[in-house]
Amino acid sequence: MKFILIALIGALAAIMANKEIAVFNDGLRPILPEHAEGRMSRKELAATSFAMCFGLVIGFGIPFSLTASILLIHCILLGTDIIGTFSPDGKKGLVIAGVVGALYGIGILVGLEGVVNAFKLLPVNFMGSLGQVGAPIVIAFAAFPALATGYQYGVKKGLFTLVISLLARQLAVVIGPIKIGTAAITINPEGAALIVGMIILIVFAMREKSDETAVDLASLFSERVKRIKANAPLLMVMGALIAGAAAYHIMAGDPISLNLMKEGKYLDAGFAALARGIGFIPLIASTAIATGVYGPVGMTFVFAIALFVGNPWLAAVLGAVCIGLEVLLLEKVAGFLDKFPGMRRSGENIRNAMSKLLEVALLVGGMNAANAMAPGIGFYMVIGLYILNEIAGKPVVRMAVGPIAAILVGVLINLLALLGLFTPPA
Amino acid sequence: MVKVVIGGQIEKENIARLVRELGGDQIQVEIKSDLQAAADVKAGKADYYLGACHTGGGGALSMAMALLTRAKCAIVSMPGKPPQEAEIARAVAEGRVAFGFTGDHYEKAVTHIVREVLQAKG
Repeated sequence: MKFILIALIGALAAIMANKEIAVFNDGLRPILPEHAEGRMSRKELAATSFAMCFGLVIGFGIPFSLTASILLIHCILLGTDIIGTFSPDGKKGLVIAGVVGALYGIGILVGLEGVVNAFKLLPVNFMGSLGQVGAPIVIAFAAFPALATGYQYGVKKGLFTLVISLLARQLAVVIGPIKIGTAAITINPEGAALIVGMIILIVFAMREKSDETAVDLASLFSERVKRIKANAPLLMVMGALIAGAAAYHIMAGDPISLNLMKEGKYLDAGFAALARGIGFIPLIASTAIATGVYGPVGMTFVFAIALFVGNPWLAAVLGAVCIGLEVLLLEKVAGFLDKFPGMRRSGENIRNAMSKLLEVALLVGGMNAANAMAPGIGFYMVIGLYILNEIAGKPVVRMAVGPIAAILVGVLINLLALLGLFTPPA
Repeated sequence: MVKVVIGGQIEKENIARLVRELGGDQIQVEIKSDLQAAADVKAGKADYYLGACHTGGGGALSMAMALLTRAKCAIVSMPGKPPQEAEIARAVAEGRVAFGFTGDHYEKAVTHIVREVLQAKG
């Protein structure tokens, strides 16, 4: 089942990238019309797409997927962006993209499982400790609405939101499950903190009024909006597949929900995915309208739906409906964002806050994981590698340094053990 | 006086601060939404557009590309590919006016862009 799902997702995503219907990398979207409208050759497009996506697959998608044994969607869809743009124009390209995309999907799944299994066979098994990379995220994710508020409205309001969210969290802990008759509703502490934080941020953001005359994006690019709508059926199929896979718990949309899913906290993961989706509305809507190219996972709400529903079949149906609604309401969304510029800015700040939070949480998680594998060596190596990456001008995305360094430490202690220079902690 | 608008998605405040620091009274900086910033450059109200996002080209440049065409834009850094001085110099010399980079790389990218831009206008 999971191989069929991944193969279908890989094939369809590569075809959609080839036909310039949808690409995952937000940076690639604006470049596609350049090729579609004849200002850029297929070869040039392929080279650009490779440069944009490959580093993210290796440096972002794969390390996260390895630490949790759940596929981060970036692994698959950045790869299919590359495959789709490399495949030639016309019918031939469609077939090539489809076949290679399917093989790639299966390859990634088998390859990652293979690597995880190979790691488990090493003399010093570090997979258990590696799981600790995500530990800080599982709690700290609830702080990001407060951080986004801080970015947007200053430290004071950020601190206010952080404290109120914390109170909401503790209240949920103290109250515990609410019993209504025989049914018990568990209030999840981090979920409560996250929701309260998001509400405060949204309230602040809605109070901002527009002062600059907005450019009416949707009417400026009405031809391109029409193009997306024409492709709605295909996009809905993709939404169904992705939602199905996410409900099947083989795939996550972002590193935060990935780590929550690994812990079996699917409801939390759903809330994190929902909040992240809100942050991505402005970016996806505006790049889509301006380019006529959509994203294969849309505004990422399909992940939230899948995690809330849990049943893959129902998730698939709702996933398709969700993408359909997103496309249908695209101009409405753009109009709403023009009326509430605070919401547009919130999107930016939510993404800012999430990446900063991940940077810190994953660095701490990476340090803890590496030090659990090899007391002393872990802290030494992870801090050393982090700062060397800074000195080198950050060739590795900052938030991936922690996980990658932890994996490297795991490999390193095996080499040292082979040389008789390392004895694993009892 | 060079007029610079900051669009893009992330690190906008930091980018603006750095441009001000480097440019002093030779540069006027304004933070805008990416769409408004790109529209200002198109209308001649600003000379250059700077923007960052996580990929260097997505949220950073999408509106600039849509309004100004790709020929006027340059992606000067991407994840795993830090900004190169020579590349930025070439882009400015070619008359590109909108620059995108990743949030990770903003310090280096902004430093080189401001220097090249001031030289070009100076």
